[in-house]
Formats: sequence, structure tokens, C-alpha cells
Amino acid sequence: MASDLTLTVNGSQHTISAAPETPLLFVLRNELKLTGPRLGCGMAQCGACSVLLDGEEIRSCITPASYAVGKRIVTIEGLPEVWASQKGLSTADAANILHPVQQAWIDEQVPQCGYCQSGMMILAVQLLAKNPNPSVAQIKDAFTNTPPSPHLCRCGTYVAIIDAVQRAAKAMRGESHTP
Amino acid sequence: MTAKPQELVDTPAPTTITRRALVKIGGALFVWLAIPAEFSATAAATGGGAASGTSPDPTQLASWLEIRSDNTILARTGRAETGTGMSAYYAQTIAEELNVGPESISLLTGDTDKTPDGGYSAGFLTGMSNLRKVSAYTYQALLALAATQLQVPVSALTVTNGIVAGGGQSITYGQLVAGHHLDLKIPVSGTLAKPDPSQWIGVTSLDGLTVTGNPLTKPIAQYKIIGTSYPMPGIPDKVTGKTQWSCDVTLPGMLHARMVRPASLGSKLVSVGALDRKQFPAAEIITKANLVAVVSPNEWEAVSASRAVATATKWTDWSGLSGSENVSQALRRFPWDKPAQTRGDGEAIAAALTGTPKTISATYDQGYVRHAPIGPFVAVADAHLDATTTIWTHSAQSQGLRARMAELLGVPTEKVIVRWLEHSGQYGRTTFGGDGAEADAVILSVLTGKPVRVQWTLQEDLAWSSVSPAWISDVEAVCDAHGRITALHTAQYSPHMTDPRPLGAILAGMPCSTSKPGNWIATEWVYDKINRFEQAYGMPNLGAETSTGGLRGNIMRTPGQRQQNFAVECLMNEAAAAAKADPIEFRLAHTSDRRMVDILNATAKAAAWQSRPSPQRNASKTGNSALTGRGVCVMLRANAYWVGVAEISLTPSSGAIKITKFTIGADVGKIINPRQLDRCMKSGVVMGLSETLKEEVTFDSSKVTSINWDRYKILTMEETPEIQVVQISRDDKGFGGGSEAANAIVAPAVAAAVFDATGVHPRRIPITPAFLTNLLKA
Repeated sequence: MASDLTLTVNGSQHTISAAPETPLLFVLRNELKLTGPRLGCGMAQCGACSVLLDGEEIRSCITPASYAVGKRIVTIEGLPEVWASQKGLSTADAANILHPVQQAWIDEQVPQCGYCQSGMMILAVQLLAKNPNPSVAQIKDAFTNTPPSPHLCRCGTYVAIIDAVQRAAKAMRGESHTP
Repeated sequence: MTAKPQELVDTPAPTTITRRALVKIGGALFVWLAIPAEFSATAAATGGGAASGTSPDPTQLASWLEIRSDNTILARTGRAETGTGMSAYYAQTIAEELNVGPESISLLTGDTDKTPDGGYSAGFLTGMSNLRKVSAYTYQALLALAATQLQVPVSALTVTNGIVAGGGQSITYGQLVAGHHLDLKIPVSGTLAKPDPSQWIGVTSLDGLTVTGNPLTKPIAQYKIIGTSYPMPGIPDKVTGKTQWSCDVTLPGMLHARMVRPASLGSKLVSVGALDRKQFPAAEIITKANLVAVVSPNEWEAVSASRAVATATKWTDWSGLSGSENVSQALRRFPWDKPAQTRGDGEAIAAALTGTPKTISATYDQGYVRHAPIGPFVAVADAHLDATTTIWTHSAQSQGLRARMAELLGVPTEKVIVRWLEHSGQYGRTTFGGDGAEADAVILSVLTGKPVRVQWTLQEDLAWSSVSPAWISDVEAVCDAHGRITALHTAQYSPHMTDPRPLGAILAGMPCSTSKPGNWIATEWVYDKINRFEQAYGMPNLGAETSTGGLRGNIMRTPGQRQQNFAVECLMNEAAAAAKADPIEFRLAHTSDRRMVDILNATAKAAAWQSRPSPQRNASKTGNSALTGRGVCVMLRANAYWVGVAEISLTPSSGAIKITKFTIGADVGKIINPRQLDRCMKSGVVMGLSETLKEEVTFDSSKVTSINWDRYKILTMEETPEIQVVQISRDDKGFGGGSEAANAIVAPAVAAAVFDATGVHPRRIPITPAFLTNLLKA
């Protein structure tokens, strides 16, 4: 049966009516119209639905919406605010900037079809929060061996993702890009 | 933020008509015609047909290109982005001919009521030719208009970045066309797709329209925009969450549907499980023949209720498949009749093979693979049998899908509108406009009287979408005294590879045309010193006699040529080894094609290739220590020359293969966009490695069993090697296909590298650890 759930998403609070076991993914997409996270496998095997929950990457396709109550949810739509807050900028500033991960994804021309890339960027943000200067091996490890599953890309953009993560890392460390 | 598909495509402001002029260009007559503003508005905005579903008039310039007074340009084509960058290439092509910046061009693609031409989305080269000609006709018309306006001859005009200058004056394109209707007639041939069960693929004219004539186009040597790395336009919206994907479409009153699929490929419905109305108050079960669905306004309720209904739904038993582990034997047992296609001099090759002491022969096998996008099929349909049915899709063949849905509904194509939106890559499975969730959505919308969104699950997609069929190849070669091949006979056998029937239509027992089983020779020949005879045999789908048509075969990235080239190039590597020759030098001895020679040498140099025969000296079939190996292969496809060099590390005892580096070279004629080509080459290698090392559709005697990512394994980032890219661009060879083929030059190179390390030729893919350990023990 439906009940009221209050969720904090990209810095704003929303109260929606849904069955508590409804996957967070469906609430974000259908109730809050946040379509960055997308349905892939529906069983935490691919990463297309990833969002940050209190800074940790989770698979929203298997996470009950009720589990996210009281936690901070971030989708790719909210990444500029995350970066603005890290840099001490205002919410208004956030509207005019991109997170360095997003900018790197543009600069490195990462997406082909792009379907998996929202989840890829979410994992990149988590990785760079923990390791500001990851090696290629560490990036490969993070995108392959972080539970519950590898992040999969069928178009085969893995090389571009590695380049983009390293580019974003440099930008976040305040270093200029050297191709 | 709301997803409203009708807002995705803006309709341009109507222009008003103030002048009449005649412009004669290149022997063709074009008319600037004063027409009523009302008509002009309709023509410019929609081509005159949104309400009825008619596609825009392709002879009207406004249906293709629209130059706005703010100097931006809207271009329309029915061919959509498939993820490989053609949205950048189309913008570059138009910009080059018009002498404008590519960033001033926006594209409207794939909507059948807003784009004029149809055609395969993957058919970029023909799509580019159309837009180049339209742009070239337009450029000449603009020059003529500017000459009149500035009172100088056309020959005195120059155009830079959309500004026409001459006689000390200048005027922008926007100013030139402001207040005018550029009523340029575009000459076209062909028709849009229509259902036709008698035709090859069940639908006519999937190629779409062709722009004809020979307008003056810019010589390749003068290109300034083609050849630069213009970024793919859709990327910023994709990384910020602004893109509206086909899975994002919501309509007022829309129902969410989840399908309940049969228990096996041959099952028929016995009884539908009951729906617990207390638990699922808004859900409904919808059935038509063997098509079963649960719909609800709430997506999660549709999911939960469909799972409950599926558990209690009863189907007849069926078991008639060979099992995937026996698929090669099943193909061998099939009574192959005459080849579907032959090429070459069969008698000469047969004579050469008879009585020649030195021949090499081998048989190669490949399992079923599938497209396996990350996002399963999804579609929304709003069906109105008495009016127009609209379908929101990510099909790579909008006009073909429109024809198939018209056939299903029994209505003229003019009563169907297909709107295209971004979604997960298709890799060929929607090229013929059939496979997908659209038929499910259309049928359910008709039955419920409401808009319906059908979302397939991953399990459903990996079990029920069409598949790239298994393959067996027999190759025989005649060698001279030096071990060089003088004659070659290849015979290729495969189940149906062009069955795009939509599953929903099959299950519901509604009309859906398909092609007759066949096969084709896909190889293009680079070894001009080898006389060859090629045969391709086709058979129906495996399990074709089932109620679902069995494993519906469909084309997939580099179709046919990937499989056929595997056999030919593996044989070349085997023959090189038999001749104790370096495999690159062996290839160079069999071709005089300069482009092949150049890209082979350039790629070998980049890979630091050392000349020696395979296998290497310390090759071994046993042991716990890692061995290294390297291998090469080549391919010619669509005026593009490809080379792959694989470097691997392999442990015989475990069969584990690690790809340490892959070098890929391509000469695709004039490179349109080096950056986008670079990423297509790298990502193609990733898919090729995935197909070579991991992918196989598994099935038992009744159903597909590889229905999640644990069972249908694809390459991960950790398994991705360093990939080095070599590109050669040529101004004098036209354009070649660069986006697709990279996956097909991986498997023979990896197989050769395994031989180099072990001295054993793998003749089947995928080369899994289990397969390899068995092979090395044998």
C-alpha cells in the first residue's frame, strides 16, 4: 500500500506517495522526473541506474525507496551542485557550472549511445572522492570490482572513460590538462 | 522537468514570401515561387502532414534544410544517430558545402512526419550523399540570390562562415533568406518504405529516398570542416541528464506494461494466472493469442503484478532445439541445398584442388551471439485505428518500423507516425525496422484504448530479442611450392540472418512479413593474387517451426563479414604458419592493393611488429607460467581497409587469456572526423574482444538460458587492453565506412596470437578458458 515518503534529492526535499518497496529508480524517474538514472538489468548487474546515497554509489533499481528516506540522494542532474558545494559556490552558481566529471565526459567525448554513462559518472564521482589521483589499474578495478557488479558498457567506451576519469581528477586537483 | 515528446521537436516559425525569381543552375531549373503564407507555414513546419502522418514532401527544400534569419540551420533526415557520431558527420557535411560553422546546424532525425527521406540509420554514406547534394543545391541557390541582392556576378562572391561577400559588400545567409521562402526543388528518386510480403525483407524501400543530379560540390582537397574533430552534438545533454530518451516518454493516461512471455520458444498459452485485485487494484491482464501482458498506470504495480501473473500462467511444453553445445553439429546435419550465393570460378578452383599435392583445409565454428544493449527494448504507442497511430521508439529504421506497424494494424502507412528518440545502442537489430517492443505497445494500445509504454526486462531481452546466428565455415586452399596460396574455396553456412519480425505481432498472431532464409557473401577481397571461389548457404531459423519462429536470426554489427572474415583470415594465418612465413609478410605477398599494403605496414610499425613465423620458439600447450603471443588479421569493407594486431598473455593450464595490447589500423578514405573515428575504432575493438573471448547465447532444448549478465558475459573495463590506433586519410579515395567494422578484425588476430603462444589453432569462438584448456589437452 502506498505511503508518504520524504526524499532528499539533489539538495531538495520531496514528499511522494508510493509503496515503500518501490525501487528508488521508479520514484526518481516517474514521480520526480529525474531521468538521468535509467533501467538496465533491474537486478544490480550493470550500473545504468546508479545514484549516490550519502556519497556512496548504490543501484537504484533494487534499492527500496523507503531505504533512501533520511539520506542524501544525488543523480547526475545534481552533480553541478555537489561540485559547487565542494568549491564553496552558491546554488545559483551551480546552475552555470558542470561537475568536472561531466566536463571531462564532454571533453573526452565519452558517450556513444550514452545509456550507461549516467551510472559511469556516478561511480567516477565516488571514486575521485576517495582517490583523487587514481592510476589506470585503480580505475579499471573500481569500474569492474566494486560490488555488486561491474559497470557495463556495450558500446565499448571503457578506454574513453579511463581517459575522462584521469582528466576529471586533474581538474579537481586544480591541475591543467596535458593530453 | 517533464518529458513531453511533442515538445522534443520545435517547429520553425513560418516564413513569408515576397519574391519570385528564376535561377538556373547546372542545367536544372529551380524556382523561387510565391505561394500563400498559410501553405508555406505548413510546408516549412511539417511538410504538410503532421496530422495525417504523411512524410514531408522530399522535393521541397524546406523538408530537408531550413536556414533561419538568425543564421542557424535546421537539417532533417530520417536517419538517426546510432552512437557512432553521425550527428557530427552530418553537421560537418552540410557545413562544408554551405561554408558555415557546423555548430550553427541542428539536426531533426528519425521522425517520419518531420523528415523526408527514410533510410537505414547505419547507412551514413548514402545519407551523407543526400545531405551533401541538398546542401550543394542550396549553396548555388544562395549564391544566385546574393548575386541579385548585391548586384555582382556569382563569380565575384566568396562565402566565409555563412557571410557572402562581393563588390565590397557582405550579407549573411540569414539576411539573404529573411522574408523569403527558399522554394528550391530537390530532385529525388525512390519511395518510402511500405509493407510488401513479396519483397526480400517483407518491406520495400528500406534504403529510403536518393537525392539525384550532380550539383557542384566542394572538392575533398578544399575541405576545411570535414577532417576536423567536431564533437558529437548530443553529448552535453547526455552527461547533464537533459536528453529525453525513448524510455522517458510519458503521455496523459498512459499505462505501463510488462509482458508475460511463453515458457519456451514453442509454448502455447493454456491459461493465464489470476490477478489478485486486492494486491494490485489498478492492474489489468491483457491477452491476444499467445501475447500476455499486465498493464497499470503505476509502473511498479505493473512489474509486481506481472511477476505474480507469470508464476501462475500455464503454457504447453515444447523442446525442439539442439542445445547450444550441439549447435555446430546441428548445422552440420542440416540438408544444405544449393548455395544462396556464389562468387568466383568454381570449375577452376575445383580443378586446382584436385590433384594438387599441397593443400590446407580447415573448418571454423562460431556460436550464436546477440546485440545485448544495456537498455532493454522499450516503446510507447498511442493507437487510434480511426485516425493516426503514433509510436515513440529508438528503432534505427523509422520508416521501416512505420511500414511494419501499418501492416500489423492493417492501415495505410500514412496513418502511422514514428517518432525517434535516443536510447541504448542497437548494433543492427532494428536495422530492418522490426525487432523491438513497438508491436507489443501498439497491440496493447489498441486493446486498452490508451497510450501504452512497454518496457522489456533484461531477461526478456536476452531471451526473446533476435540473435546473430551461429556459423560454420569450410575453407580449402591450394599452395604453391613456396607455400603461397594460389586458389581458395570457402563455403559458409548459417541460419537465417534477416528475420526482423516483431515478437509481439508473432505472439498475437497478427500480420508480420519477413524475408526468406538466405545468406550472402560479405567478404570483400584484398588478396588479388589468390583466385577464389566463395559459396554462402542459408537455412531457416533454428527451431523455425515453433509458434515464435524459433531463434529469430538478425544482422549484427559487420554482419556476415565478421563471421566470414574470421574463417578466411584464420586460414591465412594457418597457411602462413605452414609456409613458415611471417604472417604480415605472407599477406603482403598475396596482395598488390596499395591501400592494404600501406595500412598493414603502418599498423605493423606502430605495433613494433618483429618479423618471424608463428608459433614462437617457446610455444607450449602445457604449463602454469604465462606465455605471450601475437597475431594479425586484415579486412576490406565498404571502401575501408582494416588491420588488427593482438598481443596476448596466456596460461595453458588455466586457459586464461589476457589481451595485453591491441593495435588497430584503418584507411577509410577521407577521414571525416579523426576523433570520432578514433573512438569508434577503440570501442569496436572492445566489442570484438568481447565476441572473441566471452560471448555466446546459450540455450537448452526449449529456451534461451543466457538471460542475465552473469550468463551472457560481455567484456569489462578490467579486461580492456591498451588500444593503439593508426589512421590513414586519403583525399583521392572518397569516403569509406569507419563506424562499424572494427569489431570484425579482432577474432582472427586473437586466434592467431593463441596459436603463436601454444602452437594450436583455435578454430571456434568464443575462446573461453574452458574451450582453450580442452583444446590444448586434445
